[in-house]
Amino acid sequence: MNIYPHPVHSTLSDSQLGQEELKELLAIAKQNGGEFAEVYIEHTVNNNIGLDEDKISSARRGVDMGVGIRVLHGEKTGYAHSDDLSLDKLKETARVAGLIASGKAKQTDFDLKKQKIPSYYMVKTSPDRIVPAEKAKLLWKANSTARDYNKSISQVYVSYSDSNTEITIANSEGLLVNDVQTLTRLIVFVSALEKGKRSSGYAYKGGTLGYEHYNLELATELAEEAGRMAVAMLPAEDAPAGEYPIVMAKGECGTFFHEAIGHSLEGDGARKKTTCFWDKKEEMIATEIVSLADDGTIPGARGSINVDDEGTPGQKNILIRDGKCKGFLYDKLNAKLMKTKSTGSGRRQSYQHYPIPRMTNTYLMAGKDNPEDILRSVKKGIYISQIGGGNVSPTTGRFVFSVPEGYLIENGKITSPLKGIQLMGNGPDVLKNITMVGPDLEISGGGTCGKDGQSKPVSDGNPTLKVSKITIGGAKVRG
Amino acid sequence: MDYKKIAETVVKKALKLGADEAEAYLENNREFEVNVRNGKVETVKQSMTKGMGLTVFKDKKLGFSYTSDFSEKALEDFVEKTVQLSQIATPKPWNGLPDLKKGKPRDLDLYDPSISKVENNKKIKVATKVEKIALAYDKRIKNSEGGWFGDAESEVFLVSSKGISRRTKSSAVTFGTGVIAGEGDNMQSGYYGSSKAHFKDLEDIEYVAREAGKRALEKLGARPVKTQKVPVVFSRWAAPSFWSGVLSALDGDSVFKKATFMTDYLNKPIASEQITLIDDPTIPRHIASTTFDGEGKLARKNTLIDKGVLKMFIYDTITARKAGVKVNTIAQRYVYKGTPSGSLLNVIVNKGNVKEENIIKGIDQGFYVKGLRGSGTDVPTGNFSVGASGFWISKGELAFPVDGVTLGGNTLELMKNIELVADNLEIRGGLNSPSFKVSELIVGGK
Ligand SMILES: [Zn+2]
Repeated sequence: MNIYPHPVHSTLSDSQLGQEELKELLAIAKQNGGEFAEVYIEHTVNNNIGLDEDKISSARRGVDMGVGIRVLHGEKTGYAHSDDLSLDKLKETARVAGLIASGKAKQTDFDLKKQKIPSYYMVKTSPDRIVPAEKAKLLWKANSTARDYNKSISQVYVSYSDSNTEITIANSEGLLVNDVQTLTRLIVFVSALEKGKRSSGYAYKGGTLGYEHYNLELATELAEEAGRMAVAMLPAEDAPAGEYPIVMAKGECGTFFHEAIGHSLEGDGARKKTTCFWDKKEEMIATEIVSLADDGTIPGARGSINVDDEGTPGQKNILIRDGKCKGFLYDKLNAKLMKTKSTGSGRRQSYQHYPIPRMTNTYLMAGKDNPEDILRSVKKGIYISQIGGGNVSPTTGRFVFSVPEGYLIENGKITSPLKGIQLMGNGPDVLKNITMVGPDLEISGGGTCGKDGQSKPVSDGNPTLKVSKITIGGAKVRG
Repeated sequence: MDYKKIAETVVKKALKLGADEAEAYLENNREFEVNVRNGKVETVKQSMTKGMGLTVFKDKKLGFSYTSDFSEKALEDFVEKTVQLSQIATPKPWNGLPDLKKGKPRDLDLYDPSISKVENNKKIKVATKVEKIALAYDKRIKNSEGGWFGDAESEVFLVSSKGISRRTKSSAVTFGTGVIAGEGDNMQSGYYGSSKAHFKDLEDIEYVAREAGKRALEKLGARPVKTQKVPVVFSRWAAPSFWSGVLSALDGDSVFKKATFMTDYLNKPIASEQITLIDDPTIPRHIASTTFDGEGKLARKNTLIDKGVLKMFIYDTITARKAGVKVNTIAQRYVYKGTPSGSLLNVIVNKGNVKEENIIKGIDQGFYVKGLRGSGTDVPTGNFSVGASGFWISKGELAFPVDGVTLGGNTLELMKNIELVADNLEIRGGLNSPSFKVSELIVGGK
């Protein structure tokens, strides 16, 4: 494999921000009496190659580097950041962040102790060391495979991207942590066109994975899966509108649980009492076969974290157990205000943002129902192979999701493909209508979650399951 | 730092390393943001950021990189890698920098020097006051998502090897609040904010607060209705979302790939004669205006839909050359981190001459849409399907709040069935439309 001879140059390694300098910055940040100070240093390199219309259409690289300094004082957060790493500029940044408090400096004596952290990433070869031409081979392979898959395939778009983020976090409680977070992803997107009918399909692999997980066999596999989906959806008819039972296929429907349930179980909403579950802890909010977890420790999954962006180790959190709401996802600030502990969920998009409670890998836990029995139990309903984009209000839990691949279920069997399926309803209602859950849990390659203007990599998953009734919005009116 | 000089140096260095053409786009930004909740400051954030995107063409191959690291060594690595990167791209005959007319951009008064002089305490007061008034608006309002105030200044430098060197400065200021009405299973949130280029132009605090309160209250008790075909009024709050779906189907490159249902409709009627849609980023002091776009082209006004007839698609320099058409629209960048792509900045749907209340009065049973979840238009097929909330119209009046329904149909049919356009156009953001009535549409519910 072609790799660069030296690691890539980084100003960060030249900047000489040693322990003494970090301590000095923390002291300046606290000089107005702030209770807690934190320095977050980031250097991210990301690479992206796109192939479109039989051409490598884009080859891009980006470097984000900077320092964010945060001061907490009671319920208040002061945040300032700088992309100039000179000590003078950083001292000024620390001073500005500290202005959130007004008073005399409290005792600032502490020692920074470097923490040992576990590793949940599966990275042997850092992707930033692989030359772009090597990565381009994946795209060409996926492109030719997808085009050969079926005559009807009219467009192929392939994208490979990776990022390598080095972070250092130091705080006035004495924490000092380093982590290197690597993300990679390969996506194949195809369109099919036949006799005036159009459809599309996609497949992807992604995670906290090193470049050793990417090869031509994978590119072939993804291209064939994307082709399969597009060809399967070509004859799709308009979905019927109305109320139906649905079966969700394992693996690619977890987005539903992330978006429609998970966001309502984040600790900032719980503290502010603005989400539908804020007062439901220890109450039954779902049928007793429903258990939901958010787990930052799944090896190689896209949402996995050795530490969160406050230096708290990633962990597995049970949000719903046997139907009962067990708690919320917390960062340090919201945990402190709620008199509990951080759940390792304090995440931020970059040094330009302060951390907020976020999910990692969110999934419906495995149940006991046989997936075939689940399908057989539905006389007339909808089979959801994968869930696409959605829109959810965390206040009401009300959602709309599109379904890029779905089918009619007739007498317990999957029959014709359907287009334009929209799942509608609200999260709390759906939890009460989950009547069967299979044992076949699968975690997806994941995606990107947006909240309060911050994007973060996440993944999700689910076993086969049945929702006894849900509203389908479609173009066709029943009857 | 002398940013203009840095940009020039990077361009020169790229040419020296073998690039045929190079262009640096550099941004230098300052931002302030405060969030208060229940009368107390929660967060204050201040930032200074800079960054540069470098586009190079070598043998008609495109390479692009960005960096926020401006140290000498890092910049050298940056230029080298960008030129290297171009070599894996496929050459395309249409690749290359735009041919720009020299000349001075018009001064659109988009920068307010007074913003940086407003004291932080005054900004915090605005955020606190707007939340306070919204919370006091009605006793059913029980909780707050907070009040906010933010402002930003941005300076952009664009330097290209074709002899272009441009600079512009702009500002933005915003405040608003979000409150929650109701309790238990019947909670609804309402948000409202005001964003302008100049501090003095911000809307009245009381007005913004009341609008937020009103929005939370009016949704209380919202429920779905039965599936039925009725006249539908898209309010001026919901209409922009709808138009954004239509505009995504007008992307020139999608037309080239025949990937949009609009492909064959140039110079043909696509909407009711009452619809004229323009892009005008040249309105002075408007937050969605610009002096020059992401490619350095001077901003100008374009008509996309003229009395229902589609007049142009959306292109940037490269997609236009590829399609063999003249460049017309604005090209936008996702800050310095991306290359420009064809876009619209300040879309305005011309107003009609009917009062919105008279439109509602004329409907026996129908749906008044206040919010859409998404834009609804599926670009390849033109199928329209989207989640919606609003009010049920009964006997010419708004009868009760509705949520959890979908609107479904065909985008072209919907646009042709626009019967009436209201006179309530207000230019607030980048997508502005008056309310309009569609003669009939499927409202999908229970
Ligand atoms: Zn999310």
